[in-house]
Amino acid sequence: FETQEDHDNAKPSRSLEESRSLWHESELATAELSARLSEQLRLILEPTLATKLKGDYKTGKRLNMKRIIPYIASQFRKDKIWLRRTKPSKRQYQIMIALDDSKSMSESKCVKLAFESLCLVSKTLTQLEAGGLSIVKFGERIREVHKFEEQFSNETGAKSFQWFGFQETKTDIKMLVAESIKIFERARALNSGDQWQLEIVISDGVCEDHETIQRLVRRARENKIMLVFVIIDGINSNESIMDMSQVEYVPDESGNLQLRINKYLDTFPFEFYVVVRDITELPEMLSVILRQFFSDLASL
Amino acid sequence: MSEDKAQVKVKFFTREQEESLHVEDVPVYAPISLKRYGLSEIVNHLLGSEQPIPFDFLIEGELLRTSLQDYLVKKGLSSETYLNIEYTRAVLPPSYLASY
Ligand SMILES: [Mg+2]
Repeated sequence: FETQEDHDNAKPSRSLEESRSLWHESELATAELSARLSEQLRLILEPTLATKLKGDYKTGKRLNMKRIIPYIASQFRKDKIWLRRTKPSKRQYQIMIALDDSKSMSESKCVKLAFESLCLVSKTLTQLEAGGLSIVKFGERIREVHKFEEQFSNETGAKSFQWFGFQETKTDIKMLVAESIKIFERARALNSGDQWQLEIVISDGVCEDHETIQRLVRRARENKIMLVFVIIDGINSNESIMDMSQVEYVPDESGNLQLRINKYLDTFPFEFYVVVRDITELPEMLSVILRQFFSDLASL
Repeated sequence: MSEDKAQVKVKFFTREQEESLHVEDVPVYAPISLKRYGLSEIVNHLLGSEQPIPFDFLIEGELLRTSLQDYLVKKGLSSETYLNIEYTRAVLPPSYLASY
């Protein structure tokens, strides 16, 4: 358990100098991809919901049938009988990027891809001026390393890199989701108007207790927080999380625990996830999953 | 690592000659509370053995005599590690095996 004091006294894992050069490398590696991602996200993040026809106008697109009888009865004086499409209001986003800082990330050689993904997503979202950006690290502990109310820049990006050492000895996704809900709750007060809250988790995807996480993910959804999970898959090996098995013990009718071995991803607690093996896949994958998310949301 | 739901990523391999004793080369996410018996059950499940074969387990060439959790603690490792676990047909007498 971490006290407030521990939290305040925590030191970053890297020097600012090292983080700046890491940031710069990641920027160079993803410059072209950022343009591609930005193009794709622009289409998705701009309001997609069809705007409603609204009355009452003297001219317009379609007749408002409810106004016809009064129109005749008033001897054609009440002539505001038309409906128009009104201009959509600009949707505001608060987007949180949560990056896995646990040790398994370095063991599975995900670090470079993790940094590049964070750089790519944060830079692109800032260029889009979609709204506020927050960067959170998680592992055994959670820390918001860039807050919604701060202006994002290359310098703050580099500073956020300082906090990632990939040495945390746990991957507490339960705590991540629970804390994210709280951070988003506080952030809602920052702006008035139509706020959409989106969290993009970047991780190797290895976490225990899928059931509890699933409950928390549901709670986030009830709070209108959209959660998408980007799984960074074994880069320098032939292994993939898609082949990983999960050991479980399920009670049978007489209550005896029976061994079950399933595919790990079958019980993965996030409904919206993509598996990415290469940074060049990220723009496409992220836009696919976000599009799916929004169409799902529209059908609710 | 006190909570009982903690898991660790492992990979099983063997140097046994018999092809029928080789499991598929994929990672398995398993509870850290497992000891020899539980690991043996998993390998048998992966092999699809009709008659369970008792196995011994080695990590880094060292015979596992405790739970995975105790092993991790002893070696100063966390459940974030990826363990390569070797299995061999058990050479110890069954009465001894039953005890852990
Ligand atoms: Mg981890």
